[in-house]
Amino acid sequence: MSTSPEEQFSWTRYTPWILLAIILVFPFILPSRYLLRTLVNIFFFAALGCAWNIIGGYAGQLSLGHSAFVAMGAYPTGLLLLYYNVPPWIGFIPGIVVAVVVAFLLGHLVFGLRGPYLALSTLAFGEIVRILLLHFRDQTGGSLGVTIPFRGTDAWKLQFASEQPYYYICLALLGVCLYVTYRVHSSRMGYYLQAIKENQDAAENLGINLAGSKVKALMISAALTALLGAFYVAYFYYIDPDSVAGSDLSIKILLVAIIGGVGTVWGPIVGACILVPLTEISNYLFGGGRAGASLIIYAIILIIVVLFSPRGLITLLPGGARSYRSE
Amino acid sequence: MDAEIVLQAMVNGLMVGGVYALIAVGLTLIFGVMNVVNFAHGEFVMLGMVMTYLLHRFFGMDPGVSILLVIPLMLGVGALIQKGLISRVVGQPDEAQILLTLGLSVLLTNIVLLFMGPDYRSVKTTYKLSVWAVGPILFSVPRLLAFIVAMAFSGILWLFLTKTDLGKGLRAVAEKPEVATLMGINPRRMHMLAFGIGISLAAGAGSILTPFFYTFPSVGGMFVLIAFVVVVLGGMGNIPGAIVGALAIGITESLTSQFVALDLAMLGVFIIFVLVLVFKPSGILGKGKVY
Repeated sequence: MSTSPEEQFSWTRYTPWILLAIILVFPFILPSRYLLRTLVNIFFFAALGCAWNIIGGYAGQLSLGHSAFVAMGAYPTGLLLLYYNVPPWIGFIPGIVVAVVVAFLLGHLVFGLRGPYLALSTLAFGEIVRILLLHFRDQTGGSLGVTIPFRGTDAWKLQFASEQPYYYICLALLGVCLYVTYRVHSSRMGYYLQAIKENQDAAENLGINLAGSKVKALMISAALTALLGAFYVAYFYYIDPDSVAGSDLSIKILLVAIIGGVGTVWGPIVGACILVPLTEISNYLFGGGRAGASLIIYAIILIIVVLFSPRGLITLLPGGARSYRSE
Repeated sequence: MDAEIVLQAMVNGLMVGGVYALIAVGLTLIFGVMNVVNFAHGEFVMLGMVMTYLLHRFFGMDPGVSILLVIPLMLGVGALIQKGLISRVVGQPDEAQILLTLGLSVLLTNIVLLFMGPDYRSVKTTYKLSVWAVGPILFSVPRLLAFIVAMAFSGILWLFLTKTDLGKGLRAVAEKPEVATLMGINPRRMHMLAFGIGISLAAGAGSILTPFFYTFPSVGGMFVLIAFVVVVLGGMGNIPGAIVGALAIGITESLTSQFVALDLAMLGVFIIFVLVLVFKPSGILGKGKVY
């Protein structure tokens, strides 16, 4: 006797919901501080990768200076909290405004450029922001950075002694980034961006406003990145120009998206699930002081992905290739 | 503003600009011959510095001698990297080239970091602090030597490209690869030669930097940005343009740090960079590849 496919319990259909349920109750089943911190890191980098993906993946405009937007979210939030006691959930707003305005100006300035010229100008943009943060040390603390004192659990200031609240906040932020990416992915704008990525001249001939679409994508991406920057300062209690505006962070953001699957909704999650645990393992094996080890592994993975699997590791998962719209 | 201070700042900038020129001609040669932007270029400067540091530390070798070992060694290393890695992305989309060379740059920095740690190291030569005075203007001896050596190697590259058959072959591949192939030139070999020369000059620049510049694993990031600025300023693929651009950038950097703020030296350079990219991406000296 045969059953119709509808009657069978479909694992592929329910797997995402089962996973989500596990993720939601996880902090209660296994409240290990270390495991939760690792998961928060995975959510955080997956969210950054998603935000980057909107401009770098969907629109194909490689940004090598995205950490500048993290800094634009982190610095105002941190300084407002430190000097004026403004809680991060209000203090993130000015940072987002700054990031969006800068993205608008930067986009109009550099999106006439293509390929390596564009990548170089974004690299220089990131450096300019880092140098300015180092220079205005009276406001930013220069290379000493900004340290937020922890004064006991205070939900108003988003300061918690336990790890669980951060877990849910970061999960929610990842949800926001995924939702925005999904909206871009399935909207008219998503098709415009894909057309731009594949052939800018052809896209322009079809009547797509190149500069307008690219600038809009960068503004969305910058706003999400700055929001995550605000979370960064609230979670780590410390920022300095090298850690939040340095090229290392920019490269990590791009790696998460590219290794996972560039221009897909779920790719950055795959990327973060690979990269963050790798960092943990290599820190365990080589000691955290020698941060070089994890980056060596990243670099090797990046080179392998570029040479052998340019659409990212998501294509190796069952059904992963379907993440690309054209499939 | 005191004319002597301005002149002194310009002289200092010119000396460093000479070293930038040697780094940048390699980058622009690689771009000119195979249209690949080498994001790992700065790491080869760093490798040159590290090798020179080690040769000095363990054998007491002077950087002026080490450069004669570093350049041929890196010529071979470069040819191998080209054959094994870069050749796979020649003619591929820009992203593949950018990401591959970026990956290479992260790899090299962190391998050195793993073995040497993040410490700043210096090569102590006997002439490290020597100064040569011409009227009121002071020439730091290690910088002056670096400038002379860098200009000499840039000159040798120029003679090689314009006077020898091999050099003419390189230029032919740069200009019309199909026609060059018809003339019996093997473009793959020429790519290996170009990448080898390009990175060996970067490493050579690293050697002569050591007497007056700290050696550390992430030092390359700084030089690669400067080299990009210079190459864009001079026109991508344009060797005389790169030399003029490098001297101009050296002077800009020095004047900014003298008259604006020490830690903003690079800011002036990057702002010029973005402006040139946006308003005159073909470079200030005009268009395209010139040899």
